[in-house]
Amino acid sequence: MRLLLLLVAKDLRRKLRSPLGLIGALAFPVVFAGMIALAFGKDGGVPKVRMLVVDEDGSLLASGLASAFGSRQAASVFAGRTVSEAEGRELMENGKADALLTIPRGFGRDVLEARPVALRLVRNPSEGILPEIAEQTVGALADILDGGRRLLDRPMQTLRPLLDDRAAAPADADVAAVSLAFKRAIEGASKLVLPPAITLESDLFATSAGGSPSGGRASAKPSGSSLSAIFLAVFPGVAVYGLFMVADQGMRDVMTERTLGTLRRQLAGPVRAEAVIAAKAAYTAIVAAGALIVLALVVVAFVRASVSVPGFALLSSALVVAVTGTTSMVYGLARTEREASTLGNMLFVAMGFLGGGFIRIEGLPAAVRHVAPVTPLYWGVQGYRALLESGASVAGVARPAAILAAMGVAFLAVGMAALRRAARTGASA
Amino acid sequence: MFQVRGLVKSYGPLRAVDGVSFEVRKGELYGLLGPNGAGKTTTMSMLSGLLAPDEGTILFDGADLAVHPLEIKAQLGVVPQEPALYDNLTARENLSFWAGLYRLEGKRLRGAVDRALEQVGLTDRAGDPVKHYSGGMKRRLNLALGLVHSPRAVLMDEPTVGIDPQARLNILEAVRQVARSGTTVIYTTHYLEEVEQLCDRIGIMDHGRILAEGTLDELIRRVGGRETVTVRGAFDAEAVRARLAALPGVQSAASENGRVVLSVESGGSAVDLLGRVLAEGLPLEGISIQPPSLNTLFLNLTGRELRD
Repeated sequence: MRLLLLLVAKDLRRKLRSPLGLIGALAFPVVFAGMIALAFGKDGGVPKVRMLVVDEDGSLLASGLASAFGSRQAASVFAGRTVSEAEGRELMENGKADALLTIPRGFGRDVLEARPVALRLVRNPSEGILPEIAEQTVGALADILDGGRRLLDRPMQTLRPLLDDRAAAPADADVAAVSLAFKRAIEGASKLVLPPAITLESDLFATSAGGSPSGGRASAKPSGSSLSAIFLAVFPGVAVYGLFMVADQGMRDVMTERTLGTLRRQLAGPVRAEAVIAAKAAYTAIVAAGALIVLALVVVAFVRASVSVPGFALLSSALVVAVTGTTSMVYGLARTEREASTLGNMLFVAMGFLGGGFIRIEGLPAAVRHVAPVTPLYWGVQGYRALLESGASVAGVARPAAILAAMGVAFLAVGMAALRRAARTGASA
Repeated sequence: MFQVRGLVKSYGPLRAVDGVSFEVRKGELYGLLGPNGAGKTTTMSMLSGLLAPDEGTILFDGADLAVHPLEIKAQLGVVPQEPALYDNLTARENLSFWAGLYRLEGKRLRGAVDRALEQVGLTDRAGDPVKHYSGGMKRRLNLALGLVHSPRAVLMDEPTVGIDPQARLNILEAVRQVARSGTTVIYTTHYLEEVEQLCDRIGIMDHGRILAEGTLDELIRRVGGRETVTVRGAFDAEAVRARLAALPGVQSAASENGRVVLSVESGGSAVDLLGRVLAEGLPLEGISIQPPSLNTLFLNLTGRELRD
């Protein structure tokens, strides 16, 4: 034990003297998640499409279309505003709008009379993706309008004379007939369109992830702004990925010492190769555990999320075993530092993508989602998401923790055997 | 103290060490002299327990290294050819770590570290990170790491390779001090003058074998009092070797690297030969006469000079 402590203390002292790599690995998840949150979470949410509408028509239908961008449903995406053409042009030129939609004169009449009609959209090319969103949305609106007009063609024909300014006030019987016609048309179509076959669900912050382990308390989601919510949505994935990078640095030290000649020198002393490798694994585990604590403090300090501490401790312990085991296997199987670096980078990046480190697992293709559970990174990400998003307790993270620990122990057994052989070979080289 | 019997180590078809046997007595400074690739470092790796021999045994005070590796390694110090140090730790931290590996603790450890620093003249720089040291200072610290736990025997593998003359003198003086303190030293080198100055006994090694062994005087006597005449010029060395080999007084002749090396009896024969060589009318660029030396012995044993 004294020897183990001596070896680990030496490695920790060396790491503290040259901490740049460790700081980089720790900063990566914070910076990555922070940048994503800042990009999409400013002003309390996703940046809105600044949409200008020039209503040249002024009809009821045109007004309805113009006001659609200011509706409650559209408010989360659009900042809609009706302007004159001159004002619209000026705002576009000054970069104060993402898109300008012009509803042409005669639009309402042409729609009612089933004549072809074109909406005109001018996009601001300097505003990135937001004008594209405007274009797609207006396109969808045009399709809806077109479909609605075709569906309600007959009752509209009945309605049209009644909307004529010069017409006398409609009789009660006319209004009843038009209402009945609209009702029949909608009832006829409803068999085809209801219930909706395709729905869009967002589970970004409030819902439990599909397949994610959960249990325990009702919710531990942060009460802060959407900036912190987006940060927390991204952070578990990149944090677990970052932890693999931290562990990679720890185990890489076996190769570094081999190159320095200090491994050979240690083995020329009264030290077994097993002790040197066990100490390196212990050092890696300590650094990984320290990194996890730092990352947890970041979450607590800046995002104010509260999670089950026993659940966090259980999952983190299992993850430390898993990352130590995985990296020991990588460095045990590689013959040179360069080979280990290439193998490690490939494996960790692949795990990052497959296991939901960079993209939430729900956003990945079905085939990838089936493969994801073979990676320890997946279970780490799912476990932390359950803690952060669903308020999972110890019971809620028991499954991912058990799987992580089992993977870690298996990988560690392979890695230690391979590293012991590599240490002896390296020492005699 | 060391009894080495029939050591063999092969790497594939290459027999790096081929039946090496020698003995080193307690307190002796034993030199293994040979060119690069002679098998010195492989032999040292086996002596330090880093490499298991394919055949043969290594006994340390009668105990077999293969049977009691940790007990024997605890009594040895190893000074590798290239400094094996932690660059971002200080000299004191490096020494403390290595002393700790050999079970030194507390006051004993601190005393041992101070002595080792004093021994290699690094006391005033003990608190500096090693990355700020010169190459010579790193070599001295490398030596100190092998001595800090006061081993009974030290294995030094070419500790002066690639350093400046002043640093080399410092290292050699430190080695002398170690030997004077009664520590057994096995020292490998390919520098003739180092073994001539330092070693009590010398083993001459080439192609994985020990070709000759003894004190410096014993080895030079084996040369048989012969001197070496080396002839250089713009000529076909092989053709000239055949001509000069026939001259009176020439014991042996070899051609290598465009030179002809002649071995003659000492006591005036070399000077006589000089006149005869000049009389041959060869396009000469230089002639030199070397008195009997280890290099002459190596030349006689291998047909080539040690520096090649």
